[in-house]
Amino acid sequence: MKRKQRINNTICYIVLILMSIIWLFPFVGLVLQSFRGESGGMVAYLIPHEWSLKNYQYLFGSGSKFLKWYGNTLTIALFVAILQTLVVICVSYALSRMRFRGRKALMNIWLVLGMFPGFLTMICLYFLLKTLGLTESGAVPGLILISVASSGMGYYVCKGYFDTVPKALDEAAILDGATRAQILVKMIIPMSKPIIIYTALVAFMAPWCDYIFASYVAFGYEKGYNVAVAMTRWVWTNDYQGFFTRFCAGGILVAIPVTILFMCLQKYYVEGVTGGAVKG
Amino acid sequence: MKKILAMLLALVMIFALAACGQQAAPAAEKPAEAPAAEAPAAEAPAAEAPAAVATGSLKIWVPEATVEFTKAQVAAFMEANPEYAGYEVSVEPVGEGDAASNMLTDVEAGADIFNFAQDQLARLVSAGALIELSDENAAIVAAENDAGSVAAATMGGTVYAYPLTSDNGYFLYYDKSVVSDPTSLAAILADCEAAGKDFYMEINSGWYQPAFFFGAGCTLTYDTDDAGAFTKCNIDYASDKGVGALKAMIELAKSPAFKNGSSVSNATNVAAIVDGTWDSSAAKELFGDNYACAKLPTVDINGTATQLGGFGGFKLLGVKPQTDEAKLALCDALALYLSSGDVQLARYQAVGWGPSNIAAKADPSVQADEALAALGEQLSYTIPQGQYPGDYWGLATALGDSVIGGQYNDADDATLLAALQSFQDTCIGYAG
Amino acid sequence: MDEIKRGNAISRFFRWLGGDLKEIGVTFAQGDWKTKLSFLIMGFGQLCRGQIVRGIAMLALEFGLLYFTFDFGWQYLTKLLSLGTVETHKEGRVTVYGDNSFFILLYGILAVVAVLALIYLWRVNLKQNREAEGLLARGKRLPSNKADLGSLLDKNFDKTLLALPVLGIFIFTVVPIIFMICIAFTNYDATHQPPAKLFSWVGLENFKALFGIGGEGFGGTFIRFKKLWRTILVMTIAVPQFVSLLYVGKMFAADGLVNAYLLKWGWIKQTIPFWTNATYARILIIVINLWIGIPYTMLIVTGLLMNIPAELYESARIDGANAFQTFRKITLPYMLFVTGPFLLTQFIGNLNNFNVIFLLNQGKPQSMNLSNNAGATDLLVTWLYKMTINDSNYKIAAVIGIMVFLVTAIISLVVYNVLPSVKDEEGFQ
Repeated sequence: MKRKQRINNTICYIVLILMSIIWLFPFVGLVLQSFRGESGGMVAYLIPHEWSLKNYQYLFGSGSKFLKWYGNTLTIALFVAILQTLVVICVSYALSRMRFRGRKALMNIWLVLGMFPGFLTMICLYFLLKTLGLTESGAVPGLILISVASSGMGYYVCKGYFDTVPKALDEAAILDGATRAQILVKMIIPMSKPIIIYTALVAFMAPWCDYIFASYVAFGYEKGYNVAVAMTRWVWTNDYQGFFTRFCAGGILVAIPVTILFMCLQKYYVEGVTGGAVKG
Repeated sequence: MKKILAMLLALVMIFALAACGQQAAPAAEKPAEAPAAEAPAAEAPAAEAPAAVATGSLKIWVPEATVEFTKAQVAAFMEANPEYAGYEVSVEPVGEGDAASNMLTDVEAGADIFNFAQDQLARLVSAGALIELSDENAAIVAAENDAGSVAAATMGGTVYAYPLTSDNGYFLYYDKSVVSDPTSLAAILADCEAAGKDFYMEINSGWYQPAFFFGAGCTLTYDTDDAGAFTKCNIDYASDKGVGALKAMIELAKSPAFKNGSSVSNATNVAAIVDGTWDSSAAKELFGDNYACAKLPTVDINGTATQLGGFGGFKLLGVKPQTDEAKLALCDALALYLSSGDVQLARYQAVGWGPSNIAAKADPSVQADEALAALGEQLSYTIPQGQYPGDYWGLATALGDSVIGGQYNDADDATLLAALQSFQDTCIGYAG
Repeated sequence: MDEIKRGNAISRFFRWLGGDLKEIGVTFAQGDWKTKLSFLIMGFGQLCRGQIVRGIAMLALEFGLLYFTFDFGWQYLTKLLSLGTVETHKEGRVTVYGDNSFFILLYGILAVVAVLALIYLWRVNLKQNREAEGLLARGKRLPSNKADLGSLLDKNFDKTLLALPVLGIFIFTVVPIIFMICIAFTNYDATHQPPAKLFSWVGLENFKALFGIGGEGFGGTFIRFKKLWRTILVMTIAVPQFVSLLYVGKMFAADGLVNAYLLKWGWIKQTIPFWTNATYARILIIVINLWIGIPYTMLIVTGLLMNIPAELYESARIDGANAFQTFRKITLPYMLFVTGPFLLTQFIGNLNNFNVIFLLNQGKPQSMNLSNNAGATDLLVTWLYKMTINDSNYKIAAVIGIMVFLVTAIISLVVYNVLPSVKDEEGFQ
């Protein structure tokens, strides 16, 4: 029996180790390439022949707008994380706790709206933003506005969480004379830390990947780029020879805050999705 | 219920007002957006302008590498022409591809002067993103630049852009220590295979692929009308010559030394690569002392050694349609200046872009450039790249992918002919 | 059967409209002078009767919407039917822009929306007046301003919460969708691009053209569509995808790291054309999708399993259930209940998220057998993207967008409404 278990465990570990290698391989490659001193693109070896910090020096140097782009993305991510979380909490609370006419219809309509291939409307959104003066130099607030404006439709997970909070609590509070607003602020929000963190985390991560629409909105105005738009140019166009290692270095820098946040808040992330309130 | 809806809509209104307030202002400022009937009123300030010095702003889009150079040249131009001092000129780094697609998305927000590759000319003209040159400027451009570049900037008899370079073609970079005979593809591949190194050519690109077909004597061009619409396709790929070219591609793809690609900095383990002048500094760095350039090699097609052909390409400078006379004059003058022989030569010295201006080409420093010399030699085997429908590039990639993917490895001539026939029919289908 | 139903719906609509019109008439005939004046000046009655908050809101709304409609929207509204007639032309070499069909359509839609909102508000305004009159006639007191405001935080808190999100979604999601749907009925393409050229309404031409291209055009669509299912589980991971995917994409290139090592170790003689052979490319995309998705799914599933109330298992064991039964009766339903909405979000996200395919290989390899430049690994969205960006073919893209939209919307509506957590929202409360 014991021997069998030990064999089982060994197999488990081997599988886990193999999986870890497969999963980590590209990231290790990325990190190693970012320290590569010799120029050129993708190379056929993993360990750099010459170690160097010059890729990072370039990014932080005065010749590069990387810090500006990084700042743009960080600004967008922070604002979107805060505002989107507020919107999602509001919507989820209303849809989960309150019963009003048109609630089902609203939920169905929003679900259906999400099905429309979003980028088809990009050109239209671009002109709407342009009318408001939020393209080119206004790209950062423009991107925040667009992300937040439609974030109400992403209420599913949060509403699912609120659904698991017993209704009896609300009823007791109402008997005590609390208003709906008080219930939300004083009771539901403190109980919903995991889902709030989950929502904020997801919202924070999305702007780092926004490529297509962000490039539309910035419309060639370099100071309005986010990291994805700026750095994708480095790999895709002929204008940027020898930027591959810089791309790797930039990628590492971009990954750091998101990864750290993700690691720290992982627990809430899981609890958020799985409805932490129903613990037995 | 209803009263609350009223509250809700109050919020709607606040937003509507806010939006509206902001919308009204730009509409009044920009005559371009207002209907024609109202335009004169809004344009009045501009009409008074000639008395005073005209003011405004002007935006230029050029690729990152030439931003600093362009800024310096613009400064020199403004100094020499104080009558334009009221204009503020900004230079933004926007690559040629992005510039064209941005101009197509929103002409009015786009740059006043922008750099693009000539294959975008038809799209830009049909989207109304280019204004034709004034007669004087057209005459200067035609007289000072090589015939190919002028043809590339012309559509339906009208010149729409200022040629900037005549170097958008491809040729062979190779490593002298590996490749002993750069004149024959078979020899290059043999050397590469022996040395365990790779030969790069992007045969799934509609730009590099015609090297085989054109070399074999096939044609593929499109006729366009003045508005940039495609009217006719001239193609004879579905022929013995075409089959021969396709077989040569298949042979190439079978070689273990073959890699599909065309960028030195994205290539690893490279001994020879078909690439353009924009990669010359990267290639120099990569090959070091063994750096060498040559025209494209010959390839065995239907039993005869045939010189590979291809496209000759050009970079152009375009001016977008202007609503203001004074600004148009500035744009014309500035574009003409930036594409003049002296500036082209200076640009070559600064960033290595090969000039299209005849005088600049004759300069000793340009003559001494190995890469430009190889390109110049190759240019006599190429056709100036005309206009092709956007779908053509995808179709060519499909053909190339099938070859690289090994789909035709064991195909007989009839199968290949059938594939080319369908390719040809599709190409013809894009016109008209 | 259907026709009868539709007939019913239409006749019901007209009956409702008739009743509503009649009520408006009655409101006017029986109303006092305050109500009558409210027909013109919205909120007048409310103001006079001391309902300051409602009165001001109504008045401000009327003013704002009228201002918007007439100051800004009118010029576009009048041209909405023709989408502009004044062509852009040149005076000498100076360009004089004419009508811009794009703006006429976009702002025209906004103006129509404003007019509809105004009509609705006007009706609400009348109802409020009539109601107030009725209450006063019966000698009751009207709700005070304080009560009006207070209810926004309590009884009507949902309106407060939803006002901004609904508005945001309306302007930045619904209006653009209406716009794109309209585009499907115009000839907006490479040869009709504003501001240089006008485009105009063409009715059902584009739909006919799409079906006219024959089975190829449309058949292709559904092949793509099937592939959507494969990417259902693609999820975000911590490292931004544009970094990891671009890198991994290059790793598998013909001259990438993977091929280089395989060659070096002598496992293969010739490079494997990962991205140019359709079969390899598809397999690789799935593998990379798994690579991205598995850690994430594991995170969720492990958290979820730990979270199932232990008593549930306990009681099941006491009842003598075996492992399979507990899984089927407890674990699975619970997982579906909790993760249902989550999976759905992922599904929706994937319809609009084409990062994976686009950043990895742009839908390559191209296939000559698929129409309109579709590649063998293109998702519908990446293909549509190419169509709009590379070919400016907005009209056909819009038509296909609508088709996809209809299909996916129906599927997801059905799926959503049978999800246990939606059918039985209070099941775990």
